[in-house]
Amino acid sequence: MNNDMKAKKTTGKIRNEEMEYSSLKSENSSLESKNSAKSKQIRKNKAVITGLAITTAVLGLSTIGFGIGFAIADSKAMSYRTDLENTYNSNFYSLVDSVNNLETKISKVLASDSSTFQRKTLLEASQNASEAEVAVASLPLSQKDIQDTVKLTNQISGYTTTLADQLASGGTISQDNYDTLEQVQQSVQGLKNQLNEFSRKLESGYSIIDASMDIDAESNEFSRALTSLKDNNIEYPTMIYDGPFSDSVTNTAVKGLTGEKISKAEARTNLEKYFKSSADISFESETNGRFQTYNFRVTNSHDEMLYAQVTKIGGNILTISGAGTDGTATIDEQAAKQIAVDFASQNGIENATVVWSDTIKNDIYLNIAPKSNGLVLYPDLVKVKINMVTGTIVGYDATSYFTNHTDRSLSKGGLTVDDVKGKVPERFEIVSSRKVLSPLDYNREVVCIEIEALDNESTYYFYFNAQTGDVENVLKVIKTDNGNLLM
Amino acid sequence: MKKKLLIMLSFLFVLAFSVAGLGMNFTNGKLRIDQTQTTDAATTTAENRTIQTKLKRWGYYFGNVDGIYGSQTKAAVRKFQQKNGLAVDGIVGPKTAAALGMTLSSSSSSSSQSSNDLYLLAKCVYAEARGEPYVGQVAVAAVILNRVKSPSFPNTIAGVIYQPYAFTAVSDGQINLTPNQTAYKAAQDALNGWDPTYGCLYYYNPATATSSWIWSRQTVVTIGDHAFCL
Repeated sequence: MNNDMKAKKTTGKIRNEEMEYSSLKSENSSLESKNSAKSKQIRKNKAVITGLAITTAVLGLSTIGFGIGFAIADSKAMSYRTDLENTYNSNFYSLVDSVNNLETKISKVLASDSSTFQRKTLLEASQNASEAEVAVASLPLSQKDIQDTVKLTNQISGYTTTLADQLASGGTISQDNYDTLEQVQQSVQGLKNQLNEFSRKLESGYSIIDASMDIDAESNEFSRALTSLKDNNIEYPTMIYDGPFSDSVTNTAVKGLTGEKISKAEARTNLEKYFKSSADISFESETNGRFQTYNFRVTNSHDEMLYAQVTKIGGNILTISGAGTDGTATIDEQAAKQIAVDFASQNGIENATVVWSDTIKNDIYLNIAPKSNGLVLYPDLVKVKINMVTGTIVGYDATSYFTNHTDRSLSKGGLTVDDVKGKVPERFEIVSSRKVLSPLDYNREVVCIEIEALDNESTYYFYFNAQTGDVENVLKVIKTDNGNLLM
Repeated sequence: MKKKLLIMLSFLFVLAFSVAGLGMNFTNGKLRIDQTQTTDAATTTAENRTIQTKLKRWGYYFGNVDGIYGSQTKAAVRKFQQKNGLAVDGIVGPKTAAALGMTLSSSSSSSSQSSNDLYLLAKCVYAEARGEPYVGQVAVAAVILNRVKSPSFPNTIAGVIYQPYAFTAVSDGQINLTPNQTAYKAAQDALNGWDPTYGCLYYYNPATATSSWIWSRQTVVTIGDHAFCL
């Protein structure tokens, strides 16, 4: 029993000890938990500090980065700006130089009576005028502000060349031409004063770029500043001559349209004749220009979308435009040629023959010209584009035909191929020849003997005047990555 | 811990600079429109076949005649060049082609001209009128060509297209988009003489045009969204 009690006591003691221990332990653990909360707090603070440091670093670095970036971009922009300003200045000073020279050259022509000197000086003046045109068109000026100047320089260039050609072929400068040249000289003088005054502005630090950035809807400050210097008394002379850019050739009359004025409904009926009932035809608009037409949208039986213009006078199909279909060709060149000639004949262009063809991808471009009295009439050329995949006409252009076609009383000229054959250089191999009516520079039509000849692999066409035997023109076939060109 | 911070810092450096780089691109102006250009291989597949056939016949090449200019073909070409005293570069240029007894389409530059005019015209048509019907695209190309002929404008296609302020799509960089096949076809038609506008020098969109000057021109025809005028 005692022992038992003892044991109990002991157990109690132990229990006590245990309890003490556990209370100690719990004390300890509360201390521990206090400790861990503290360290958590510290860690938290550390994280906040690190976070802040990182954010500051990111911001700082990005600021530096941006700064460097902007500095680089800015210096790049500055160098682009300088390049552009330099280019504009260079163009402007070139313009001033060429106009100054042009004025001097024309004065010299007017002061001289030696045709050799005049011819040489006129050609130089022409060169100066073209340089002036290139320079003025490269400046940041709005089209409507400079078109008079561009036109003046282009026309002077064409006019002086034409006068030089006249002198070269033994002619003289007529009184009329002298008068025109004097007017030209005065206009150039006015332009020269205007430009020289402006160049003084540039000397005092005027920036063409800054001025050109100041844009309103139609013009910029540079345009306005330059045109404000223009002497309003300057008159631009009308230059009529047989050369490029002449006022006479810009508006050619339509000679080939005859017949009654037709209605929209009749025009549609005419189209239906060619495209048959399978086509879907709808009216689009009218054209009121050199040609008056009704315009229709046509979807043909192959679902190709076409646009056709029918003349109000005569009701002829004038043009067809369409993109054509891509795929594998189903017709050959011979078949295409037949389709083109048949179509032209249905449209009133009889007796036509294919004079040129060129295949580009799936389309074949055919030029056909009517024949009259054994002559191929090149001025009356009709262009046809046929899609080789569907075998349909996707392009047609008879504007040259209807502009130029009239009943001409043509003689075939006295000379034959044998008479002019010898004029083709010996290294050429003659391939074919025929008599043609050739449209030469600026509304001149001349009966020529056309000789096609080969030199190495290049094809040339020679045109000899059928009356005099002189060479009127030489064309060369230029092969390009996209079809052939005749130049 | 220090190591981690270092790594983090270096990462941040990179980040900061790439951000700066982005900023720089931005300040350079509007996003550049990339023009995907296919670099022309020195020889075409057909030409590669010819090269392989010839080299095989002469014992330089033992692979398949497949038209693919692979490493085997290149090695054979190098061997051929070495034997024939040519510059050994493994590329069939004009000289190597001549030694092989063939002419390359790309090397015959004397007889074939690159069609720059067509390319420029197609670019301008695509930039200015890609949403227009086909004939409207031909008409835009025709206007450019009419300008070339007109005394009041520059005398080359490039001169007309790049004339300052002449075309909005040139000013805003859309001119550098790659033209599609339709634009090429329209440009080709115009170069061949098609002109549905009969000599027009201007066009504008009546819905958006602000210039009073353009409204004063005589309109010849309206095609799609564009009024064409003289």
